[in-house]
Amino acid sequence: MQDQLAALLAKAAAELPALAARPDFEAAKARYVGPNGELTALMKQMGSVPKEQKPVVGKLVNETKTALQAHLDAALARIEAAELAARLGPAVDPTLPSPDRGLGTHHPLTLVREEMTRILRKVGFTVVEGPEVETEYYCFDALNTPADHPASPHEKYLLRTHTSSVQIRTMLKGEPPIRIVSPGRVYRRDTTDATHSANFHQLECLYVDKNVTVRDLKALLDYIFASLLGKDTKTRFRPHYFGYTEPSFEVDLSASHLPKVNKPCYDPEVWSGYAFGMGLERLAMLLYGIDDIRYFYQNDVRFLKQFA
Amino acid sequence: MKLSRSWLQDYVDLAGISDDDISRAITWVGFEVEQVIRTGAPTFNNVVVGHILTRDKHPNADKLSVCTVDVGASHGGVRTIVCGAPNCDVGNRVPVALPGAVLPGDFVIKEAKVRGQPSSGMMCSAKELTIADDAQGLLLLSGEPAVGTPINDVLPAGDVVFDIEITPNRPDALSHLGVARELAAWFKKELRYPEVSFTPAKIAATARPDLLQSVRVTAEKDCPLYTATVVTGVKVGPSPEFIQRRLAAVGLRPINNVVDIGNYVMLEYGQPVHAFDAKKLAGAEIVVRHAADGEKIVTLDGKERALDHHMLVIADAQKPVVIAGIMGGADSGVSAETTDLVLEVACFKRQCVRSTSKRLGLASDSSYRYERGIDVHSLDEAAHRFIDLILAHAGGAVAGPIHRVGSTIPWEREIMVTPGYINEKLGFDIPAAEMRAALERLELVVTEEQPTESRGPAWTFSIPSWRDDLERPIDLVEEVVRLYGTEKIPSSVIQSPGLVGNDDPIVLFNRQVASALVGAGFHECVNYTLRPAKEVAAWAPAAQVGALALANPFVEDQSHLRSSLVGGLLESLALNQARGVAAPRLFETGRVFLDRKGQLSECVAAAFLIAEETGERSWRPREAADFYTAKRHAATLAALAGIELDRQPTALIAEGNDTARAWQAGHAATAGNIEHGWTATFGLVSLAHLKALGITGKVYAGIFAIASERVSGDAERRSYKPFGLQPAALRDLAVVVAEATPAIDVQKTIAKHARAAAGNAFALESVEIFDVYTGKGVPEGHKSLAYALTFRAPDRTLTDDEVNVAFNKVQADLAAAGYTIRK
Repeated sequence: MQDQLAALLAKAAAELPALAARPDFEAAKARYVGPNGELTALMKQMGSVPKEQKPVVGKLVNETKTALQAHLDAALARIEAAELAARLGPAVDPTLPSPDRGLGTHHPLTLVREEMTRILRKVGFTVVEGPEVETEYYCFDALNTPADHPASPHEKYLLRTHTSSVQIRTMLKGEPPIRIVSPGRVYRRDTTDATHSANFHQLECLYVDKNVTVRDLKALLDYIFASLLGKDTKTRFRPHYFGYTEPSFEVDLSASHLPKVNKPCYDPEVWSGYAFGMGLERLAMLLYGIDDIRYFYQNDVRFLKQFA
Repeated sequence: MKLSRSWLQDYVDLAGISDDDISRAITWVGFEVEQVIRTGAPTFNNVVVGHILTRDKHPNADKLSVCTVDVGASHGGVRTIVCGAPNCDVGNRVPVALPGAVLPGDFVIKEAKVRGQPSSGMMCSAKELTIADDAQGLLLLSGEPAVGTPINDVLPAGDVVFDIEITPNRPDALSHLGVARELAAWFKKELRYPEVSFTPAKIAATARPDLLQSVRVTAEKDCPLYTATVVTGVKVGPSPEFIQRRLAAVGLRPINNVVDIGNYVMLEYGQPVHAFDAKKLAGAEIVVRHAADGEKIVTLDGKERALDHHMLVIADAQKPVVIAGIMGGADSGVSAETTDLVLEVACFKRQCVRSTSKRLGLASDSSYRYERGIDVHSLDEAAHRFIDLILAHAGGAVAGPIHRVGSTIPWEREIMVTPGYINEKLGFDIPAAEMRAALERLELVVTEEQPTESRGPAWTFSIPSWRDDLERPIDLVEEVVRLYGTEKIPSSVIQSPGLVGNDDPIVLFNRQVASALVGAGFHECVNYTLRPAKEVAAWAPAAQVGALALANPFVEDQSHLRSSLVGGLLESLALNQARGVAAPRLFETGRVFLDRKGQLSECVAAAFLIAEETGERSWRPREAADFYTAKRHAATLAALAGIELDRQPTALIAEGNDTARAWQAGHAATAGNIEHGWTATFGLVSLAHLKALGITGKVYAGIFAIASERVSGDAERRSYKPFGLQPAALRDLAVVVAEATPAIDVQKTIAKHARAAAGNAFALESVEIFDVYTGKGVPEGHKSLAYALTFRAPDRTLTDDEVNVAFNKVQADLAAAGYTIRK
């Protein structure tokens, strides 16, 4: 019995480390420790071992079993490791570029618009939207523009020339206090060239509350331009940053009081406010150093990729 | 509008104020300076007339000379100057820039040594003084000007022209006098009005019987005031030099004294005026009337114009001679032979001039001013100035009375304001005296002053007639701060109450679309809303192209509103392909215009395209996009608007579909209907359309459009639903169906039967297609669709037996419903 156990263990020690494939391993495992395995068979012989030898032989059987299991475990671990290794290909070349598509890009006008609305949100402005095709009422009449004003054409419906129509809609709909920013597309009968575009984008702000002053407007503009251009930016109402853009603040200041709206709650003695706007293209041109407005509308991918 | 500095100088003393400061002042008071144009010589310091006394060759340089030049005792007498010009000959008088002079281009003149020879100044060419392009030699001064004379006293006077944009609310500033008033107020100077010596009382001669006797206005509404004055015995010829120079400086061609003076008065006062040849008027009466339909006139530009009854004309006994406020007729114009004039100074209604100008496509400096509104209360003053200048520079005498038709309601407007109110609106304090002075400099006059308890004196300001834009106290706040200087407004901190509102749902939608598509590798584009007719015809249903057309397009290729964003994206793709730039994935968000219930409706939309041919090469190619790639992205767009595209009926775009001609039939599909709030179309762009656009390779695209009121933004906050923790039971099922059967129908049928079979005992969790097969084993014209069914019970592990019972029932039911189960 002792000899048989020793022989079994020696055979396993020789055979198991040589196994390479899992089926061979499973077969070998069955041969040794399966229901019909050799060790199982030897263990069944324990009944016939003389009583006085039982403690010794039993101990030997257990030792053999433990040793055999260690061989099996080692073989299995080796085979599993080989299997995992087989699932990997050769090592990669980490210097090759990824063939997968990268991120796309936001259009610079979107980036500037989002930056502006983010800046304004921090001081309580929410973004509103309105239609681009407007009626004369919202585009001109409600803005205190006389019907015979040179800026007002006579079509029934028209492409809005400014986003102030959105302010009118907001004021008619809601009650003050109002803090809104209305970015959007506007239209002019301009011939397209490096600085003009038939449609372009404006961003207008409206704030209506009690006791809003010109100084508050200045404070907001200071804050906006410090946010855009850095803390040390000194803003003047007509800073030369805008020397080559539309006379934003000139127009803005002249429009800095509440447009007349026929709604009883807008008693100018109670409510005051300011509105101002800027051209997003002009702002983007300034911030990014772009020198031709047409690039925004050509969508050359080399252009689009520069601002992400 | 162009303004001449020397002309402005007539009304406000600008001496010693630099062009830059004037430019800045114009900007600060509220007008944009578009351009500053200098004519003639700039103002020089330390550049004087010099007289060349000797000339010797430079010992060390062939082309240089060493001269002695007398620049006058007060400038150091005789100086030695090295010169490279060929014409620095003895006896010539030339401009000499002395050390300390700064020539244009910030060129500072210093004492220097030129090739070892000391040189104490520089003799200048015309180019160096920027008065001409001639750089060949020194500018030779003729007429023996005295040595030492400042050069500006010798050179013809230069001028500076400011081209400024006048905002529509300020028609009063469309004149030199108007802008001079602003400058006078800004620089705290006096405003000097032109001296007008003519008054009706001075008329000595009586009316000539053969000339104009009366004026009749039959259209009082469109012509509130008309004046006509007969001047006889004038001599038409060139106008005085100063008028010619000023007109030329602001871009008007001098013609003759009468026409030039008319223009001069218009640019001075902002009041358009007109002069007729009195003898060319038929009859003795001028009638201001509406034209008859079909009546014709040949205008000064030589074109015949057909008039209608909305248009106002000035007519003689026979025919219209002027289109009121816009342009005179060729027949009655002033010529070299003219000796007798009718001078017209009138007010025409802006609406009338505007609509006539628009209908005729005819505009002029005159119509521009009428359209913006002229001050009828200043009209007589301009008329008298006109007469004055004609008498002074064309001679003649006024014959008979001024014919003046129309009553002017006296101008009266008062606004009451207190310093307290102004400071309250400003948010900072300006001293009351400074406010008052600023308003008074703009010729607002305090007519009454009452003390108030706490807000300072209540001033009643009388508003000048030319400032019709000043209507409310707040308008005076603006005038005060304008002249105070907006740059001096103190800074402060932002007072910001928290507001609960969120951004508009449309903004949130666009933002989410952009970040989703950017994440998927798309580049965002921005295209014009207005598209060429041809493109719109490809993307919009034929019946709607007309509705999308603009009534009056400005340029031909921007004639229609867009009904799709894909056309613009294809244009961008074509541009990139033409430039050899890879543009594999593009998208855009924006408004499109779609028909809803027979009316054009502005909808929110997002679109994308995926180009097959990018020109890019890869060391490891990835799977190409196909219809289902487009469907995935379209589904993403719909999902961001809260619509689950996979659960919506989707129809294949078939051959001959009029509403989707630019999509490839059989390879594109559409879901939803804008009449019910949204629509999505996606798939392959028609190969023929791509070919026509010159785009190579296939293009998959998709667009999702939604009615703006349907964009809901923040979805309701989701509630947690328990999910089963028990193991699932899976069964696969393949059915053979006719090829045309939509997969979604099969799936729905299977799901219906599976749900029924599971009953109340457990639940069908999902039915998912995992294989589509045609070929061996499947009959011709059929396909095999394989679905994975997942069952689960919320509270226990399902047994094989109970699942098998249900699964067998599903198969039996499907077979009974006519499906062939593939084993």
